[in-house]
Amino acid sequence: MNDLYRASEPVTFELNGETVTRSVPAATPLLDLLREDGQCTSVRPGCRIGRCGACNVLMDGQAMPACLIMAWQLPGRRIETVEGLGGDPDFLRVRQALVEESALQCGYCTPGFALSLVSGLRERRQGNPVDLGEAIAGNLCRCTGYGGLKRAVEKHLSPCSSTSSDGGTVSKKQISGEPE
Amino acid sequence: MSSDTPGRIVTLDADAPDGGCPSPELYRRIEGRLGYPTDLFDTPGLLQGAILRSEHAHARLLRVDTSRARTMPGVRAVVTADDVPGLNRFGIVVRDQPVFCEDRVRYEGDAIAAVAADTLAQARAALAAIEVDYEPLSLVTDATTAEQQVPLHEGGNLLTQETFHRGDPEQAFAACAVVVEHDYRTPRQMHAFMETEGGIAIPDDAVGVHFRVGCQSGHRDAEQLADILALAPGQVTVEAMATGGAFGGKDELTVQPAAGILALKTGCPVMIHLDRFESCRAGMKRHPVTVRMTTGCDADGRLLAHRVEAVLDTGAYASLGPAVLENFLDHATAPLYRIGAYSVSGRLVYTNNGVCGAFRGFGGNQATFAVESQLDALARELNLCPRELRRINLRSVDEPGSRHQPVRWTAPPVEVLRQAQASPLWSPEKGSRGRWLTGTGMAMGAQGNGLGDGLPDAGGGRISLSREGRVRVEFGFSDYGQSIGEAITHSVCEVLGCQGSDVEVMLGHSRGPDSGPTSASRSSVLVHGVLNRMLPQWMEAVRRQAAELTGYPGDDLAHGPGGVFHQGRQVLSYRELAEHGRREAMVADASQDFPVAPDQDHPVGRYLQLQIATVARVRVDRLTGRVRVTDLHHITAAGRVIYPPGYLGQIEGAAVMGLGMTLTEDMPAEDGRLRRDNLDQYLIPTFHDAPAQRVDVLDGTPENDPFPVRGVGELGIEAVAPAITAAIEAATGVRIRTLPVEPGVLLTAIHAREVVS
Amino acid sequence: MQSDVTVQPEVAGRGGVRVLRPEFPREAVAMARRFGGTYIAGASWLQPVWERRQSRPSYLVALDPGWPGFRGIEQDEGGLTIGALTTLDELASHPLVHEHLPGLGTLLDQVAGPGVRRLGTVGGNLCAGGDLSALFLALDARLHLVGHHDPKGESLVVWDAADAGFDLIQSVTLPDASPWRIAVDKLGHRERFSPTRATVASVHDGDRLRLAVSGEGGPGRLSISEAALNDGHSLSGADRIHILDTELEFRGWRDPTLRLAIQRMVDYLLAEVGHVL
Repeated sequence: MNDLYRASEPVTFELNGETVTRSVPAATPLLDLLREDGQCTSVRPGCRIGRCGACNVLMDGQAMPACLIMAWQLPGRRIETVEGLGGDPDFLRVRQALVEESALQCGYCTPGFALSLVSGLRERRQGNPVDLGEAIAGNLCRCTGYGGLKRAVEKHLSPCSSTSSDGGTVSKKQISGEPE
Repeated sequence: MSSDTPGRIVTLDADAPDGGCPSPELYRRIEGRLGYPTDLFDTPGLLQGAILRSEHAHARLLRVDTSRARTMPGVRAVVTADDVPGLNRFGIVVRDQPVFCEDRVRYEGDAIAAVAADTLAQARAALAAIEVDYEPLSLVTDATTAEQQVPLHEGGNLLTQETFHRGDPEQAFAACAVVVEHDYRTPRQMHAFMETEGGIAIPDDAVGVHFRVGCQSGHRDAEQLADILALAPGQVTVEAMATGGAFGGKDELTVQPAAGILALKTGCPVMIHLDRFESCRAGMKRHPVTVRMTTGCDADGRLLAHRVEAVLDTGAYASLGPAVLENFLDHATAPLYRIGAYSVSGRLVYTNNGVCGAFRGFGGNQATFAVESQLDALARELNLCPRELRRINLRSVDEPGSRHQPVRWTAPPVEVLRQAQASPLWSPEKGSRGRWLTGTGMAMGAQGNGLGDGLPDAGGGRISLSREGRVRVEFGFSDYGQSIGEAITHSVCEVLGCQGSDVEVMLGHSRGPDSGPTSASRSSVLVHGVLNRMLPQWMEAVRRQAAELTGYPGDDLAHGPGGVFHQGRQVLSYRELAEHGRREAMVADASQDFPVAPDQDHPVGRYLQLQIATVARVRVDRLTGRVRVTDLHHITAAGRVIYPPGYLGQIEGAAVMGLGMTLTEDMPAEDGRLRRDNLDQYLIPTFHDAPAQRVDVLDGTPENDPFPVRGVGELGIEAVAPAITAAIEAATGVRIRTLPVEPGVLLTAIHAREVVS
Repeated sequence: MQSDVTVQPEVAGRGGVRVLRPEFPREAVAMARRFGGTYIAGASWLQPVWERRQSRPSYLVALDPGWPGFRGIEQDEGGLTIGALTTLDELASHPLVHEHLPGLGTLLDQVAGPGVRRLGTVGGNLCAGGDLSALFLALDARLHLVGHHDPKGESLVVWDAADAGFDLIQSVTLPDASPWRIAVDKLGHRERFSPTRATVASVHDGDRLRLAVSGEGGPGRLSISEAALNDGHSLSGADRIHILDTELEFRGWRDPTLRLAIQRMVDYLLAEVGHVL
C-alpha cells in the first residue's frame, strides 16, 4: 500500500496518438496538464468546473471536460484534442460545416464545440442515433447566439445531409492549400 | 434619402453568395492554432501572476504585510500600492480606480497586492500568506439611496447627473388624455466572455513593457499604462491580441497594470489570467438601472409628454459610467418617436456593488426596454394596437432627432415597422395548447454609431505591401470575434479586385495606426471611410511603381487578382512588386473624424442612426412560469451589408445576449457581495435556449450615400427585452417590468388571473 | 460511533491531495474510515464544490467501476439493478432503460451536459440529491450498500446521504415498472445544463400513486400528499393543495412561488399517469 501515499506519481496515457508519461500530483486536472507546457492550448479554461465545454477533450473517443478529469484517472486512456485531429475525417467534416456557416466568432469555445460534434459523429458511426444539438448542449458560446452552429448541424451534419461522411466534401468556398 | 424611399428588403442567410472564400482565420480558430493572450505559455521565462482581492466590500485597510509571502517557494515578487511606479489610478473617463488599494477598499474585488511566481499554485499560495487587516466600514448597497450614505469618494456618491429637456413637460402632461407611469429595473448583467480577462506583460530591452493582452483599445491603454508604470509613452507597447470575447468588458484596463508592475519588478514576462471565479467577482458588469417613466398621449395616441427619472449603479468606480449614463438618457428620450415635451434625467451613483462599465448596448438597451414597454402600456390604455400607436408616432427621415440634432437614417422608420407587422410570427403557432401559453410581441429600437455628443472620435488606418507581397491593411481596432478582419478583407478585395489570400489584416497594435477604441459600433463606419480615402492613393502609388518596373503607362495599368494587370493580363504579381519595387513608396494612410452632423458647432447625440424592430414569439409554461423564446425575427436598417455572415452573426449573437438578460442573467449583490461566482450559477443561454432567428435587412441608402456602412455590433440587443416581455404579455396578460423575468413572479400573476377568471 | 476515524484537515492546493486506490469495496470502506477519505467516482459534482471553496479533502478514495456489481445494468425478477458507478450517459443509452423507463432518456438530456454525463455516475447523482433522486424515490428504489459490516439493502426513501457514514452504494434496484405509468418533469432555470429547481416524479402502479421531488428543497417522497391522493377521497381540492403545500414547506421548500410551481407540475403529472382527482 506504499505507493498509495505518494502525492505525485507518473501517469502514462495516449495523447494525440503518442504515448506520454507525466509525473504530476494525482489530483491535477488534465486541463492544466495539457496547457501548461503550451502543447495543447486549444483546451481552454472557461470555468474549471465542467460547465462550459471550452476544455473538452476526447477521452477514449468521447467528449468530456478536461477540468473534471484528474491525472490519476488517465492511465491507459486515449486523449485527443483538435491539435491531433488534422487527418480525422469526422473532424474535417465538422470543420467544413463550421466554416461554411461561419459558426464562430471569437473562436475561443470552438475547439470544444468541434470535439463535441466529432464525438457525436463517432457515436453515430457506431449506430447510435445521436442528435448533434444534444451533443453540444454542454458547450457555451457567448458570441454567435448559436445561429451558425444550428445551421452547421442542420444543413451539413445531419444524418441525411448531402455532404459525404468521409470528410472529403469539396465546396465552392473551400480554400486551397494550408492557410497561413 | 427622401422619405418616400422604402428601401430594399433582404433576408440574410449565411449561404447568400458573398463573393469570397472563408478567411484562413476561421480554420486557425477551429483547429486551435490561434493563440489567445492567455494561451501564451510558450513565452520564454514566463512567470505566473495572481492578484489578491479584498475580502470586504468596504473597509479601511489597516495593514498589508507581505513579508511571509515574499519568502514562499517560487515567489519572485510581491507588490502592493507602494510598488506602483507612477500613478496608482486608472479609468477611461475618470481615473479613480487604484491599481492596488492604499488605505481603503471599495468593492469585494478591489486589488490589494499581486504576486509573481514560477507557478500559479505558488503564486496562489503566496497570496494566501499575505496578511491584511481590515476595519469594515458601513456599506453602500442601494443605488437609490446611495447619495445619503457614507461617501465612497471625495465629492460624495453622486458621480454625475444629467437632464435632457424639451418643451414644457408639465404643461404637456396636463393636456394628455392618458398617462402611464411605471417603474422598471434591469439586471447587473455579466459579459461572460468565454476567455476571462488576461494576458502577458513582457519587459523589453528598452526598459519598457510590451503587453500582449485581450483589450479593446491598444493606444488608449498604452497611454494609461505609461502613466501607471512611470514610463515614456514610447516605452509601452500594447498588442491587442485576438481575444475570446469582450463585449465592452475588456474596454477598461483589467490585468495589465498588475502584470506590468510585476514584469518590471522581476524582469521576466508575467502572465495573469483571472479564473472564472475571480472574473465574476472583479470584472465589469452592465449598469443596473432603476427607472420611473411617465408617458402621456392624447386620445388619438399622439405622444405628448414623457418624464424619466433614472438611477444607474456604477459600483465602486466610474469606468465608462458617465458615458453610459449619457447614452441611457439619449435612448430614454425615445429617439424613434416624436414627443412634444420631455424631461429625461438620470443619476449615476457610486456603491459597493462591484464595478460597472461598458457593455454592448451601453445603457441604450436598458432605456429602450422601458420606453417600448411604456408605448405598449399606452396602447393598452387606449385599446389601440401597439403597432398602430408606434406608426402614429414614428419620426420620418426628414425630421431631426429626439434631441433636435440632425440624424441620418438608412430607411424610413415606418417601413421598418411595416416589415415587422408583416412578420410570419404573428400567425398563431400550430398546436399550442396544454401547458404552453404562446404569444407574439414586438419592440423597436434606434441606435447611434460613434462616441457621440461631440466627443473626440477619430480613427485611422494604413495600407502597404508586405515583404511577402501581400496587401497589408492595418487598423488599431481589436479583434474579439466581431469579424472585422473579414469585413476589411471583403472591402479591400472589392476595390482591388483581388482575392482574400492577397490581403493581410493586422489589428490592434499600439505601434500601428490609432483607430480609437473598439466600441460604440464605430469600427465599421471608420473602416469604410478610411479605406475609401486611402485605397485610391495606394492604388495610384502601386500603379506608379508598376509603371516604372514594366514601362507601361500607369494609366493603362489596373489592379486585379494577385497583382497588377495590363489589358487583362497580369504583368506583375504583388510578390514581384514587393521584391523589385520600392515598398516604402507603396504606403498610404488616412484618418478621419467620425461622421457628425454638418453645420453643428456642438454636436449632440448621434448623427448616424440605425434601427431595429424585433418580433418575438414565446411559449410560457403555464405550470411553472418558465419562458421559452421560440422565435426572433429582426428587421434591421443599418446600411449596406459588407460581410453577410458577420452582420448576421452580430445580430443573432447580440439578440441571444439580450435574451439572456431578459430571462436568466443577473449578478445580484447582497451586502456588497456578488452572489454568483461561476457559470453553474450565472446562467447564460445554451444552444437549446437559442430561438430560431431571422434577420432581414432593409436598406434605403442611395448608391452615392457618403455613409452607407454602419456598425451593427450593438443593434441586435436593442429591442430584444421589450419584444420578449410584450410577447409574454400577449401569452399571459401579464406585463413584466423587472428583468430578468422571474418565473415565480410570472407564475404567481398567471395563477392570480386564473383564480379571478 | 466512528471513533476509529482520523479526520484529516482539508488542503488548499490540488498538490496535497492523495488518491487512495483500494482493490475491492471493503478495502475502500476501510481506507475511507482510516483516513477520513472521500469516495470519488466521476467527481463531476465534488470538483466544482472544491474549486469554489479552494479547499479539498486530503484523501480521496477512488472507486473502481471494475468491481463486480458496481457498473452496468441487469434485469432479474426483482427488477432492474443499476451499478452505482454506471455513468449517467450509459444509463441513458442502455437498451433495458429504453424498454423499462422510456421517459428517462428525455430527463437525462436535461441533467448536466453530455460531457459531464459521461463522467457523472448514478450513485453520485443520488448522493447529491440530483434529478434521478425524485424518480428513483417515486419508484421505491432499493440501495445495496457495502459498509463496515455485512452488505445490506436499504430503501432509498429512508436512506440519508448526509448520515450514510462510510457506507458505499454498490447498486440500486428499481422494481419491475414496465406495467406502471411514470411521469417526471424538471424545472430548471434554462433549457439545458441547469441545476434543478424542482424535479417532480409521479408513479402509478395501477393501484397506488407515488410522488417524489428533488431540487432546491432537497429530495424526498411526498408521502403525506400521496396518502391524501390515494385515500383521501373525501378531501376537497383545496385540502389537497393545502396538504401538498404544507408538506413541501415542512420538507424545506421555502420559496412559495416554487411550491406553487410544484403544485401545478404535480397536477399535470397526475393527469399524465392517469390519476383521476
